[in-house]
Amino acid sequence: MIPEHMKQELVKRVSGAITNREAAVDVMKELQRHYGWLSDEAVQEAADVLGLSPLQVEELATFYEMIYRRPVGRHVIHVCDSVSCWSMGGESLLQQLERVLEVNVGATTADGIFTLLPCCCLGNCGKAPAVMVGERLYGPVTPEGAEAFIKGLIESSA
Amino acid sequence: MVNLTIDDKQVTAPKTATIYEAAKLNGIAIPILCHDKKLKPFGACRMCLVEVEQMKGRQIPACTTPVTEGMIIRTSTPDIVKARKMVLELLLLNHPIDCPVCDKAGDCDLQNLTYEYKVDANRFTDEKFHHEIDYNNPLIERDMNRCVLCGKCARICDEIVSFGALTFISRGIETKIGCEFDEALNCEFCGSCVSVCPVGSLLARPFKFKARFWSLTKNKSVCGYCGTGCNLTLGVKDNKVLTTLYDENQGFHNGQLCVRGRFGYQFINSDKRLTKPLVRKNGKLEEAGWDEALELVAARLKDAGASTAALATARLTNEELVVFKQLLQTAGCGNYDHSAGYAHAALTEGFAGSFGASASPSTILDIQKSDLLLVIKTDAYETHPVVGFEINMAVKNKGTLLKILTDKSGKLSKLPDARTLVHTPGSEIAIINSLAKVILDNKLVDASAAALPGYAALEKELAAFTPEAVSAQCGLTAVEIKLLASAYATAEKALILFPVGQAYPGHTAALANAVANLALLAGKLGKEGGGVLCLSEKNNSQGAVDMGFQAGIGAGRIIDGCADGSITTLFLAGENPLVSYPDHARVQAALDKVEFLVVSEMFLTETAAMADVVLPVCSFAEKEGTFTATDRRVQHIKPAIRKVGQSRSDFEIFGALIAKLGGVAPGTPASVFAEISATVPGYTGMSYASLGVEGQFAPVELKPAFVMPNAPAVTVEPGKLALVTGSALYHNGTLSQYGEGPMHVCPEGYVEISRADAAASRFAENDLLTVSSAGGSMKLKAHISARMPQGVVFAPYHFGANPVNQVWSGAPVTWITLAK
Repeated sequence: MIPEHMKQELVKRVSGAITNREAAVDVMKELQRHYGWLSDEAVQEAADVLGLSPLQVEELATFYEMIYRRPVGRHVIHVCDSVSCWSMGGESLLQQLERVLEVNVGATTADGIFTLLPCCCLGNCGKAPAVMVGERLYGPVTPEGAEAFIKGLIESSA
Repeated sequence: MVNLTIDDKQVTAPKTATIYEAAKLNGIAIPILCHDKKLKPFGACRMCLVEVEQMKGRQIPACTTPVTEGMIIRTSTPDIVKARKMVLELLLLNHPIDCPVCDKAGDCDLQNLTYEYKVDANRFTDEKFHHEIDYNNPLIERDMNRCVLCGKCARICDEIVSFGALTFISRGIETKIGCEFDEALNCEFCGSCVSVCPVGSLLARPFKFKARFWSLTKNKSVCGYCGTGCNLTLGVKDNKVLTTLYDENQGFHNGQLCVRGRFGYQFINSDKRLTKPLVRKNGKLEEAGWDEALELVAARLKDAGASTAALATARLTNEELVVFKQLLQTAGCGNYDHSAGYAHAALTEGFAGSFGASASPSTILDIQKSDLLLVIKTDAYETHPVVGFEINMAVKNKGTLLKILTDKSGKLSKLPDARTLVHTPGSEIAIINSLAKVILDNKLVDASAAALPGYAALEKELAAFTPEAVSAQCGLTAVEIKLLASAYATAEKALILFPVGQAYPGHTAALANAVANLALLAGKLGKEGGGVLCLSEKNNSQGAVDMGFQAGIGAGRIIDGCADGSITTLFLAGENPLVSYPDHARVQAALDKVEFLVVSEMFLTETAAMADVVLPVCSFAEKEGTFTATDRRVQHIKPAIRKVGQSRSDFEIFGALIAKLGGVAPGTPASVFAEISATVPGYTGMSYASLGVEGQFAPVELKPAFVMPNAPAVTVEPGKLALVTGSALYHNGTLSQYGEGPMHVCPEGYVEISRADAAASRFAENDLLTVSSAGGSMKLKAHISARMPQGVVFAPYHFGANPVNQVWSGAPVTWITLAK
């Protein structure tokens, strides 16, 4: 359950929106920040705050790939698999990251720190291959630099 | 109207029409998958692509594009045909093409279009879906592997049913139609989604693997459950009704049905149907021949004469009721009634006094034309679900305001901007009087009102009903009452709806008077979209009232008469008072006491099991006649199947008995209907031909007057809970117990309690509770819900296995205690 002050804050934000639905992404992101992912409980809470049915929230939640309806690691690494990054070696980067992290795409490392996900274009084609971790963009991350990239992430979060 | 050219043909169409509608109006068919005339345009499937010359030959969807003046449209150029073929190829890429094992084959839009466009190969390759099939409920199977994502199921569930059980989830390449938390479907099971599914993704499980679509004979009929008068298409094979079929052009409701209408047909060919007459010999009911049984009944009727009484179900046809009356008169019986008496008092006493006619002045068609709907009890949705759909559509599409006066909230309360005023049980009449008082005080009275008889007396009598005085006892504030009154009075067109029925003893003649006064004061009658509509319970309740099947002492005192010995012979035609009348012990004692009990029934009901003679009768699907819906729409039914076993129609039985008593038996239902149309007010000039497929409204002639209703004082018993009875959404009367669909989703009685009361007493869902009242006690499962106010509990009345009349003695509010 989210704390009361957080609920109040969300209710305030929803009331400031022109339609409730338009505040949905904001509310889902806040709840995700709180829980780490958007659990069924969070969907129910989002629905309560937004005045929508849980199913309506579900429809939106399952559309956005950065809203996680399954538990994820502390850091979610989004690796772009759209055409620009693909042509600059994005596919090899993803494979390299699988090897470095010892997980398959879509899975979370055993220590629960990283989740590796492919994603749609991040709008960072100029710096392809592009990666996003949390809300921060990285690029270009070459396949050769994958190991150093992960090391950097571990160090900066330590 | 706008002028346009479609396929070189000069045509006209309303300016609000889409290209698809304009073409259809002019007999040009454009293929569709995702479009349904009842739903808002969506444009998902791209099957309806057409070319519009003004749009430089671009291909545009006909279902979403409005027509404009001078448009030149081509619907089937080689390019268009090519594009449609590709749409089909792409759909068939993921579709499993398992037609030989799919129940939809023969009735499948995708299959039909694939044949029509001769798509016999695919240039593309892709994987099929691998979704798990949802077999979790007994009525609707969901196989999302066959889905073409037209969205009709999700849209009908939202736009018309207003439940919202389905939507697109994981939008993108993996889109599918899913339920809450991607779990199993759990909804009200009306099956609207099944009816509109263009492929085999949503199937009616009770019909699965029963027959192929093309082998069914399609027979039109009228639903045998509630008073809405929905039209049905029965799918018949080998003299069995196997399913109901969707016909979007049928009835005012465009083929929409509720769970009872769509999934409750199994009683027609139930194994439990009685097929031979039963006669009690040595204390046991034994099979007998028709001659023996009828001879026995006739002899008894002859002997008993005036000490005979009769109760009929309001599911008999108008013709049967007329002939039954004739039989009873021939036998010298002067006491007969239907539906427990009080269940139709709103019409026969209430409206008769206020409007000079025992019928509602408004029709179901007024709902979507209204500006404001005032619904008394959210139960209106449960008792008449298809009327509920009309309310949903009025509120969601037409912006109609919805105000609800109720003792518990309900599904209607969830509609956009619905205002639900939850009052203490039993105080609705006082509140409505108070609304009338506010209208008087605030000078909102319509100019026509002062001239009506009884105005001065009403003004005086209403003096006691100030909002302040009423608010003290009804659980609403004076401000709420005043706001509702002014909203009602100032709406251009306002319609009041209220259900009546055996489970609603509080909806009396006085309530009808109060409601009528309000409408008359505010001048809401006589306008399209305004007025008052009383929702009667059974499919021919209004017909029974119109045929005047009511004489003498009334149903309640007939039961008393049986108990005190003044009535020696009781003829029950389809009525099951042991379950549906108040006070089980009293009815039981009366039926034990009565010397001779004749029951004509489809099933060996609890009541029939006590009879001396049981006459097996046939269902609505086996007989001819007319039914009058709650808004006086008279509809003609024809047999869809031959009579089951040796059963006969009530019409034949009553006719045979009349002959045995030395009277002149009536000819045919048609000749009796001719008699009705010559004698019954409003039915004048009707004939089978004039009824047609849509039916015909019997006009209601109004002679309005004010009748002051008595608002009964509700005595509160401290420390006890207020039990209100009613209808469950899945049931109607006691008949639906023999429909498999309703029994799958709602198999037994329950007591619905608020979360607060449950928490206070530590009751959990499905706990078996002992319900005790002054009249008795019984066990019911607990159902905890958010809609019940604290201190109020609800129990539906339909179930023979645990009838709520063991604790309910007919009071609008019964004070009870609950214990685990």
